[in-house]
Amino acid sequence: MITAGIDVGLENIKVVILQDGKIIGRGIGRTGGAGRAAAIESVMASALQEAKIEAGDVEKTIATGKGRYDAVTAGEQYTEPVTAVRAARFLHPDADAVVDAGADETLIASMERDGRIKESTINQKCAAGIGTFLRNMADRLEMSLEELSALPPADPAGVTVSDGCVVFGEMDALSCLNHGASPKEVAEAVIESAAIRACSVIKEPTLPIGDRILLVGGLAKNAAFVAALEKQAGLRFIIPADAEYAGALGAALTAIPLS
Amino acid sequence: MKKGQLWETRPLDSWDKAKELRAKWQKSIESKEKVVGQGNTSFVVDWQVCFPAITVIEDNPAGSMIAAKNDPFARKSRLACEIRGWGREICGYHGTLWGTQFLGYQEDGSPFPKRKFTVPFPCICDSHTKRGEQCRAFEPIPRWANDYTCYIGEYDEEREKAMLEHRNYCSLKMINEMERVFDQKFDDDKMIEMIRAESTIAQYRQDVSYYMTFKPAPLTVKDIYSFYTLGGLTKLDPEETVNFWKMFRDEVKWRVDNQIAGLGTERFRWMEAHPPSWHYLKYYRYMEQYGAVCIGSQYSNGTPMERKPDGSLVEREYPGFSKDIALDTREDEIRYMTGLDARAPHHFKQDEYLRPNALNEFAELYQVDGAMFGLWRGGVGCNMLRKEQAMKLRLIGKSVLFFEGSQPGDRTDLDEKRFLDQLDGWMEGQGLRKLED
Repeated sequence: MITAGIDVGLENIKVVILQDGKIIGRGIGRTGGAGRAAAIESVMASALQEAKIEAGDVEKTIATGKGRYDAVTAGEQYTEPVTAVRAARFLHPDADAVVDAGADETLIASMERDGRIKESTINQKCAAGIGTFLRNMADRLEMSLEELSALPPADPAGVTVSDGCVVFGEMDALSCLNHGASPKEVAEAVIESAAIRACSVIKEPTLPIGDRILLVGGLAKNAAFVAALEKQAGLRFIIPADAEYAGALGAALTAIPLS
Repeated sequence: MKKGQLWETRPLDSWDKAKELRAKWQKSIESKEKVVGQGNTSFVVDWQVCFPAITVIEDNPAGSMIAAKNDPFARKSRLACEIRGWGREICGYHGTLWGTQFLGYQEDGSPFPKRKFTVPFPCICDSHTKRGEQCRAFEPIPRWANDYTCYIGEYDEEREKAMLEHRNYCSLKMINEMERVFDQKFDDDKMIEMIRAESTIAQYRQDVSYYMTFKPAPLTVKDIYSFYTLGGLTKLDPEETVNFWKMFRDEVKWRVDNQIAGLGTERFRWMEAHPPSWHYLKYYRYMEQYGAVCIGSQYSNGTPMERKPDGSLVEREYPGFSKDIALDTREDEIRYMTGLDARAPHHFKQDEYLRPNALNEFAELYQVDGAMFGLWRGGVGCNMLRKEQAMKLRLIGKSVLFFEGSQPGDRTDLDEKRFLDQLDGWMEGQGLRKLED
């Protein structure tokens, strides 16, 4: 059976195509604004090309992510905790919990052994938009995301920016620049503040989350953020290859009927 | 039959009578010239009607009504309040209402009815401690505080007694002084009649609350919210209101006996802890798309019953109050009301032990699968113990969703789309899908 998953995130669209439970095609592209539907079509086309199949070969498509209802070709939509858990169980059958940190949302879901969600938490507004914040700040500081990812940990005695919300954070960062801090120092502080906000979500669950915790989503690619988050949370994450595709993978898995 | 329907459902017959009563009340208050006061007393009886020419407006319902009816005006009003220095440290209800005082006109364009006195509600747990100050700071008017003293630590019979005696004193003083200041005689006979009616209604309410513990729930919380305010119409006609509540109670009992559900698709039961976002009640209907019914909260249902260690279900007792005292003097009336209030649904707010633990009792009693709590920046309940409540509920297997932003009377922080997304995620995490999908 061939299924597809589309993850329409705030920054990027990801598509995964599965055949009999194996990934045969993937695609990724910027989400865009008003042209989101066209962007989805374009990313789907590249995934189909990689899979060497036609759109008609896909038997079922499921969409997830904040923009899931814009994926008009999807037969169903599922929320992010459901798809994150499906992906986590597929990528790491022994995982106890999954953290999905993306452009907009940060969520944590702990799992029962049979894959059901034990407890899940999604960020509230003040911890929203962490990934988008990092991208915006990289632009402001005239750095690439790769340069941001390669930063060392923030100097505890250095500058700090607000971890209250991304708006306050950005204002603080600009203020630091205006008062003579270097872009690198500010970038380190920005990473630190983003990690503190994400950590507020990770610390939310009441029930034990276990030791085998997967980190997926676009922010899993940012080494500096991951290091800061591990330090804040006191955890070591398992980061699967292609972690940013996890939502789409989970959606494609959800499209497979349960036997 | 509706997709996913599991239970028979039908509208309440009591609706017609409820609407008739409400219309009568509306007519009775039109074109009344009275001294207007600001009151949020914790009296469970509408004492104001015992003064011949005094009427009391509460800022909570007035503020939430503005927020629900006219969001642009509510925002303008809150801004006017903030400019005067009353920011988010006060409840959103109050910010919205008192802004209209500072603007000088109401939502319908009519002049703001200036208050001639204020009696703030005693509420120690959140931003209501500044209650009533807005109108008193605006113009010099009398203020009678209906103090609620408190103490920390374990239940202490002596301290509890002293606390309640102080409240009795405050209330008695307030009534006596209002007679003097406004030259009006308080009608004690009327008060006794009201108390007796209210006591009877309280029992009917408690029965209805108990019936909500059954599966399927005979009502949804929206029904409860529509009906509970009608208990206050004893001020219109005590006897008719009592009769109405008996009819309502009997109908709900009949629904329980015949398994008539408030929501025919009930498959997930959830609870709250505090008043809802009055301006955004559609989240109840949204949840119903998943077959998820809100069975109420301590706010709507009270905590009338408790499960004893032997498994028996009995009326919750608050030591030190008797319902059997004679009603001969004004002091008796006050004492009786203080006792009633101490057993009232709001009592849990003041109790650091009861509040987190009673939620677990409530959750088990009402057979809920989950709970939804608002994380508010101010207002009723604020965030005191909210996280601790969730921890305790999760430990007994109840799923908890927090949503951020809105207060009951202020939609400033409500991100509607994010909130609905959270509801979808919560329900799907429970293995539920929208029934019409």
